[in-house]
Amino acid sequence: MNAGAGIGLRSPHLAEIARDRPATGFLEIHAENYLATSPALETVELLRRDYEFSVHAVGLSLGSVDGLDEAHLDRVAALIDRLQPTLVSDHLSWSVAGGRYFNDLLPLPYTEEALQAVVRNVDRLQERLRRRVLVENPSCYLAFAHSTLSEPEFLAELVGRSGCGLLLDANNISVTAHNLRLDPEAWLGNLPASAIGEYHLAGHTVNEADGEPILIDDHGSRVADGVWSLFDEIVRRHGPRPTLVEWDTDLPALDVLLDEARRAGRALGVEVEADARAA
Amino acid sequence: MLGLRDLQAAFAAHLEGEDRPSLADAVMGDTISAAARLRIHRHHVAESLATALAATYSTVQAIVGEDFFRGMAKAFAATDLPRQPVLAEYGGAFPAFVARYGPAASLPYLADMARLDWALNLAFHAPWRDRLSVSDLADLPSEGLLASRVSLAAGSTLVRSAYPIDRIWEASRPGAAAGRVSLDEGPASVIVLRRSGDAAFARLCPAETAFVEALADGKTLEEGAHAAFAVEPAFDLSTTFARLLALQAFAALQHES
Repeated sequence: MNAGAGIGLRSPHLAEIARDRPATGFLEIHAENYLATSPALETVELLRRDYEFSVHAVGLSLGSVDGLDEAHLDRVAALIDRLQPTLVSDHLSWSVAGGRYFNDLLPLPYTEEALQAVVRNVDRLQERLRRRVLVENPSCYLAFAHSTLSEPEFLAELVGRSGCGLLLDANNISVTAHNLRLDPEAWLGNLPASAIGEYHLAGHTVNEADGEPILIDDHGSRVADGVWSLFDEIVRRHGPRPTLVEWDTDLPALDVLLDEARRAGRALGVEVEADARAA
Repeated sequence: MLGLRDLQAAFAAHLEGEDRPSLADAVMGDTISAAARLRIHRHHVAESLATALAATYSTVQAIVGEDFFRGMAKAFAATDLPRQPVLAEYGGAFPAFVARYGPAASLPYLADMARLDWALNLAFHAPWRDRLSVSDLADLPSEGLLASRVSLAAGSTLVRSAYPIDRIWEASRPGAAAGRVSLDEGPASVIVLRRSGDAAFARLCPAETAFVEALADGKTLEEGAHAAFAVEPAFDLSTTFARLLALQAFAALQHES
C-alpha cells in the first residue's frame, strides 16, 4: 500500500462514497460491522474494486486469557478472504471474559504472563489468517501496579516473539500519556520502528474525573493540535506509513473527514491526487 | 498480585456493577483515584451498548425519546451483555425486556414496536438471494403448485400485534406528518422483508396473515388457502400469492431429486 492517508468508512457515508468515489488513499472498515450479510457489505465489495482496504477488528480480544473465540475468528477470516484487504489489525487490549463481550478496549497489565497470552493469541490469529497482522497501541485510562514492562517495551516484545506489525495511533499515545502522566516522546523512543505498518489519527474529548481533566478517545472531533504535533514528530522519526483518520461519534459531513485525511497526507509529505485511487 | 485470569474476571464483575476491592487495589491511583479510573470503563460499556441498541431499536427510541430509551437500554445491558462482538446481532431479548419494564407500562404497544425493529434488523442482515419469482413457477402445473410447500425467504418474518404497529411506525419516522394514531384502530400484522437495498414491511389483512402463518409452519399452498378461507370466505388466493411473490417474500423452491 502507498503511504497515503485514508478515511474510516462509516455507514452514513457509504452511499455518498459509492456515488462520488472521492479521492482518498484507502478505506478502513471495522470488521465487526460487516460480518452479518447486508446491503452495506455488497456496497463495500463494489468499492473494493476501486479502493485499497484495511480491515480493522475491534472484537478479537487479543488480550483474553481464555484465547480467541474461534467462531468469531472464522467469521473475520471469511470477511478477509472475501475482501483481500491490504492491512488487517486489532488492538492491544481485551474485551471478552467468561463468554461475555464488553464492547470496550480494556487494559492489560504489562506482565510476562499477559505478554505470553497476547503472543499466543496473535500467533493463532496470524496462523488462521495466514498473514501478518498489525496490533494497535490502546488509549489508556488506568495502569496496573504490578506491570513490569512499559507499553512500548511490551509492544516491542510482542513484535519480537510473534512477528506481528504495529499500528501506531498518535491520538492514543497522547491520550495515554496525558492520563497516565507519561512523556509521549519518551514513549515513542522505545518502539521497534521497522514493525510499524500503519498510523491512526482521531479526535479526543476532555472529561473530568475526580475534578481533574482526563482525555477520552471518542473519535468525535477533528484531530487535536497536540496530536498533529506528535504525528509530525512520529513521521520525522519513522517516516511515512499508510495513515487513517478515524471518526465514529458525531460523524461530520464526508468533506470534513476527507479534509482531515488531506491534512494527514500533507503531514506525511504525500498529496492525494484525483487519480491516486488504487487500480 | 492478581493473575491475568483473576484480573479479567474481577474487571468483568466491575463492568457488571460489582465493586471488587482486589481490582481497585491493582490499579494505580493518583490525583485521579483508581475507582474513578475504573468507572470510565464501566460508563463506556453501558453507554456504548445503549448506543448499539439505539441503532437497532430506532423506532422504540423515536417513541420514548433518547433519555428514556438510554435508561431502559442500560438497564437491559446490565442484565444481558453481548455474547459476541457483532453488535447488529445483539439485543434479541430486548423486546421481552421492554414488555416487563415497569416505567414503560403506560405504552402497551412498545414491546411490539421493539419486535418490529428487531425483525427489520434481522431482515436487513439476511442474505439477498434465492427468491421465488414468477418465472420459477411457469413450468409448474397448477395442481403441482397447490400441493407444494413454499417457505418464506431468509429475513421474512410475520409480526402480529394487538395494536396498529404499522401506523405507529410510520408516525414515528423523522419528518412524519403530524397526526395521532389511535390504538382503537385495532390489531395489525405485517410481513417484514429483506429488499435489494434495505428492509421493509407490508401490512397483511387477517386472511393473508393466516395464509402466511400456515406457509411458515410448513403447510402447502392449498392448506394455507384453507386457513385463509376460514378467516375470510372472500379470500382470493391468486391475488394474495401474486402480491407476496411481487414482494419477494418467498424462498426459491427446493427441488427434490
